Amino acid sequence: MAAVEAPAAELGLAPARRPWGRKLALYVPAGLVAFVLAGCFLGPLVLPIPAPVGGDVLESALPAFSPGHLLGTDPNGNDILSRILYGGRASLLVTIAVNLIGLFVGGLLGALSGYVGGALDTVIMRVLDVLIAFPSLVLTLAVAQSLGPSLTNTILALAFFSIPAFARVSRAATLGLRELPFMTAAQLCGTPWWRVLLRHVAPNIGPQLITFSMLGMGIVIIIEGALSFLGLGIPAPDPSWGNMVAQGQASLSATPDMVVWPSLALFVSVLAFNLLGEALRTQGSVR
Amino acid sequence: MTVALDRRYRSVPARLFGSPAFRMVGKRLLMAIPIMLGVSVLTFWVLNLIPGNAAQQLLGAEATPEQIRALEAQMGLNEPAVSRYFDWLGGAVTGDLGRSFVSGQDVAGQLGERLTVSAELTGLALIASVALAVPVALLAARRPDGLFDRVSMFVSVSGLSVASYVLALVLVLVFAVRFAVLPAIGYVPFAEDPVENLRGMVLPATAIAVPLFCFYTRFLRGDLVDQLQGQDYIVTAQAKGIGPWQVLLRHAFRNSSFGLITVVGLNLSTLIGSTVIIESIFAIPGLGQLMLQAINTRDVLVVQACVIVFAVVTVLANLITDLLYAVLDPRIRYGSG
Repeated sequence: MAAVEAPAAELGLAPARRPWGRKLALYVPAGLVAFVLAGCFLGPLVLPIPAPVGGDVLESALPAFSPGHLLGTDPNGNDILSRILYGGRASLLVTIAVNLIGLFVGGLLGALSGYVGGALDTVIMRVLDVLIAFPSLVLTLAVAQSLGPSLTNTILALAFFSIPAFARVSRAATLGLRELPFMTAAQLCGTPWWRVLLRHVAPNIGPQLITFSMLGMGIVIIIEGALSFLGLGIPAPDPSWGNMVAQGQASLSATPDMVVWPSLALFVSVLAFNLLGEALRTQGSVR
Repeated sequence: MTVALDRRYRSVPARLFGSPAFRMVGKRLLMAIPIMLGVSVLTFWVLNLIPGNAAQQLLGAEATPEQIRALEAQMGLNEPAVSRYFDWLGGAVTGDLGRSFVSGQDVAGQLGERLTVSAELTGLALIASVALAVPVALLAARRPDGLFDRVSMFVSVSGLSVASYVLALVLVLVFAVRFAVLPAIGYVPFAEDPVENLRGMVLPATAIAVPLFCFYTRFLRGDLVDQLQGQDYIVTAQAKGIGPWQVLLRHAFRNSSFGLITVVGLNLSTLIGSTVIIESIFAIPGLGQLMLQAINTRDVLVVQACVIVFAVVTVLANLITDLLYAVLDPRIRYGSG
């Protein structure tokens, strides 16, 4: 229901109580997200940093702020900053892909299920119930193991659990739209079902799904990290935040830095996405 | 009117079995069966995608194709997947989950011991997180946008952004390495030494409980504030002159507790997921550790059994959530609203 109210009505007519606080709550996390994305995707191209793999063993385990290695190096002599940026690239790539797959496939399934209803709704929702009954990480582990560790397979494994989540949200939002006058009008005009879905349902449930995907980003980053941490995500020599934490765990008491830096990167990115999602949820037309 | 009279004069069993709550429970129990079947089919299908099977894995890379085929035949892996599934399902229904390909042990027996260990860990984490979340959320909702509210919301958003495995390592670093007050590894069975057992559970349970605590606090606080601001019965209670704490506890919290129960039930799969990782970090011999080991050795029957147990627990938890609902909420108990 809330999705159909124009955002302007809520933002413009109701006097904002703390306009500055509200703006900050939206722009600070948005800036942080932009910073993380730029750092990981543009950083390695612009900054003068070494490659994330194939480091010199003579330079192994340097402390932070060593010349040429701002955050030091790992036991294999690889630059940690470089590994964090390239690792973030892998983590974010997986996360964005998983959320896009969830958004489109799950969103479509849910909207179809909610709009068409009847037997189709029952079948789709029962199948999704089975997927939701699974503890997602357990399922993802099983899928990741059976497909073998790689970037694409990590995406596929995680998509398995993002699709049902998006489908549920999308179905609930579509059900709220179904009886509204503009939907009836579209049907009376003889609009085919696929056109109703694309032109009338999708624009209305879109904002809600996008907000949901912001909150989902944080969750997927953490789960991707868990998969890589367990050795079932991004395979070892290539960096990812999860496998860097796992690598650092081995020498936790001697060189805690190795765990601290990737953990910090993980925390900041997840926090940025969570805060952004939260700000969108409370400030947009979406509740 | 007639309905109410009818109900009063019905016999006890008729009242029990005919009650809306009972019908709802029955319906949910019946619905759980196809879900469980679906879960087992899906597990079987996913695990059969594995490129190298258990025979290959056991014999190593140098094994000749003949040796592999012989072992496959011995393990029954050469039969079609569908007939293997029904064989397995037939056994599973009677409690026989087969023997591990790798260790030769009885799978059901192995699961039993480990299930209690995992249950202790998740139980402790769950109790701690809910027991802390309720008072914090109540205090925060007492004055929305007050100092306590802001601080607690900041803490819970930050806490939600910490991965449990990262938190676990930080806890180990601080409490086991720096200050050496709590053990990081070395599980002691409860029956052997309860104190050591609980001391060993502190760090892993905390690592699991903190993100949950943050999630529950945020949810409950939001729900309480919604109740306090928008509901007529709150206005009525306030107009009657009931004190603010009474309104919060007796009226708002009572209603919000249903939402909390649902969230706790739904969130159980996340709880189980983090248990798998945390068990492997702290070397706790629970179900999650067993599953990870079995995944690495491609011990299909053990992985399958673990996944099924996890799924059964999740489905049961959702069922219990619904049951609690029926017991606690008069609207469902009496079938109105």
